[in-house]
Amino acid sequence: MKRFTKMAYKNPDEMVFGRAKYPTSQRWNTQIGAGYVVPEIKVAPVEGSEETKEQMVSECRNITQSACDRAVSIGLPAFMVEQEHIFQQTNNPEWTADCTQAQAEILEKYHDEYDIKVSLMATPADIRIEERHPGLRGSDYDNKVIESIEASAANGASCVAIETMGGKSVSDYGIARGDPKAILFGIGVLGSIDMEYMWKRIVDICKKYDCRPAGDTDCAQANTAMFMAGGLLDKDCSHTLAALTRAIAGARSLVAVECGAIGPLKDCGYENPIIKSISGVPICMEGKNAVCAHSDLMGNLTAAVCDVWSNESVYHRQEMGGTTPEVWLQATGYEAALMNTAHQTGEEKTLRDLYTLTDKYRDPQGLVLAYDNAHRIGEAIVKYGKNPYLRARAAALEAGAIINEAVDAKKMYLTRFERDSLDSALKIFEELPTDSEQFIDECLRKYSRKIAEFDPKSYEL
Amino acid sequence: MKYEELEERMDQNAVHVRYNVEIEGPAIKPEDDDDVVSILPTEEPFKSIALAVLYEDRDASLKNVQKALNDGISPIEIINNGLMKGMDAVNVLYTKGFYFLPDLMLAGDGMMEGVKECEKVLGHKSETKGTAVSFVAEGDPHDIGKNLVVMFLRAGGYEAIDMGRDVPTTEVVKAVKEYKPILLTGTALMTTTMTVFPKVVAALQKEGLEVPAIGCGGGAVRKDFVESFPMSVYGVEAYHAPRLADAIVKDHKNWKDLRKEYSSIVGEFVSEYS
Repeated sequence: MKRFTKMAYKNPDEMVFGRAKYPTSQRWNTQIGAGYVVPEIKVAPVEGSEETKEQMVSECRNITQSACDRAVSIGLPAFMVEQEHIFQQTNNPEWTADCTQAQAEILEKYHDEYDIKVSLMATPADIRIEERHPGLRGSDYDNKVIESIEASAANGASCVAIETMGGKSVSDYGIARGDPKAILFGIGVLGSIDMEYMWKRIVDICKKYDCRPAGDTDCAQANTAMFMAGGLLDKDCSHTLAALTRAIAGARSLVAVECGAIGPLKDCGYENPIIKSISGVPICMEGKNAVCAHSDLMGNLTAAVCDVWSNESVYHRQEMGGTTPEVWLQATGYEAALMNTAHQTGEEKTLRDLYTLTDKYRDPQGLVLAYDNAHRIGEAIVKYGKNPYLRARAAALEAGAIINEAVDAKKMYLTRFERDSLDSALKIFEELPTDSEQFIDECLRKYSRKIAEFDPKSYEL
Repeated sequence: MKYEELEERMDQNAVHVRYNVEIEGPAIKPEDDDDVVSILPTEEPFKSIALAVLYEDRDASLKNVQKALNDGISPIEIINNGLMKGMDAVNVLYTKGFYFLPDLMLAGDGMMEGVKECEKVLGHKSETKGTAVSFVAEGDPHDIGKNLVVMFLRAGGYEAIDMGRDVPTTEVVKAVKEYKPILLTGTALMTTTMTVFPKVVAALQKEGLEVPAIGCGGGAVRKDFVESFPMSVYGVEAYHAPRLADAIVKDHKNWKDLRKEYSSIVGEFVSEYS
């Protein structure tokens, strides 16, 4: 497996929305990262639709049909539907097959009729349970995930993605207790090991079909930190620690690309700008048009270097302006139109910078993901590119340095809690061993004892 | 214009304000807070035991408890007058915004370490305010919300039975039969797994079982959905769980009362219940 030891982008100023160093081509004449931004719509199936396969197929068909209708009604040149599978779909790969086929048929019909560029990202759920024998590897659930990936690829998905959960038992422990070492171990080491296990198989499956291996996100871990960090007045997780967690996630989610994923990296991966700077693959992002799903502190900044702009997720229901697939595709569609207008008029870098500056100093989490800083973290990662532990640690240290520089420049202001937790985390990271095996041994001794759900065998440790 | 030049032209405060920094008061020692002073014991060894919990010092907590037990102090007194007082103070500081979740988790770890030591001497589990059972809906692997609920319940003096994630409804029914909980909590991240909750209620009713309330919450869970079936109450924040449990135990409230009086029971404005 190749490891990134060089940056795809030598200069952060080369990075901009809608353009990736290595665009991807998909069926239905769709390119991602090829000079235009593609809006994305993602809708969660309504409660009750999980009761039978027929209901779920009908639900997926309705979501896709609504999105297609609105796309042509408002004149979108391109759009992507992402279907994040529910447990019942992944656990019953024949459901996945039928749902994917139904969605692909509708998208193809609209593509044929209107020549609109369309894309279907299928995202089976990672339903594996670490603490249940035999753990993450070789369980029935593990097999179902892989079968569901294949059912998606074989039945018309343009690309497949997943949000793997490896290391979550340890990172959750670390996030809830403000334990940076557990976060680094859970995401940087365990998450990376598990991704390699999953992604080699996913890429092999995609090679058999006209389906692209898209990417993974650290939704299960770094987004847990971000959600718990919450708004400015929330008090469940330090925002500086959440920022370091995001940087660590950049080192972890890169593994999918190293295994052969080509993008677009899935939304929810707020760490994606870091990975784009390293690998040059196109990325999906979410921000202000994902307020239907959750709140964040960087609603504009995340658009700066995106290639696909997503709404993250929304209930399937009726709004005043139509059904949610219609309404929220319209929201992401008009934002993409603004970005595409910037491209057409040669003002894309101005818009990118305005997006960035809107949120750069709103919160440390946004600061480390501003494209220039994401590039810096990318450089720190590739310096130790061959070692998942050392590069994750380097990412965290660089993120800490970025925050401290902004504080020194009186551009970023921190609370005592944020200040203390940053100082404490950086001290811990600096004092960690530079030998990967030593770090892993220390962590195995400490966390195997403390975390009942953690099973080292799931990582062949 | 270059990015750096644009940045220099900006007045950040015209775009966003870090209100968390703006409103931050002076640093105080946790034991100096007036409410904490009124909770903390003044006599030794209880004062040191409570302070170790307050300072989230697991090792000191264990050491203090062991010393007190060796000195012949009753384990029940150590729990009630030392460990629990420390935890009460931590809860107060969390509610007031001085302490954060990691403080609560680490203090809870310290308290539990001490409680286990006392239970070794007692030879049985210590008495709690009541037993709660917590599960994650079948088909749902997302358990951090449940973990927080369990932690808050234990910190609040309850025994919380942690059933884990992806728990079949039949197992939940078995647990209700076995533990007769004062509160059952169920969490789910997705719309299509929250549908387990009414199935749990139906399964309990079929067995003729009843619990005072089933707290249902999590990512995509909605109040209107939770209130579409009986025995349930929509839980907004994990830290509300022990307050709801207190209302059940102390004031004999049930799920109907909790729905009506949620905001006053948890002691704060809750937009979902406004």
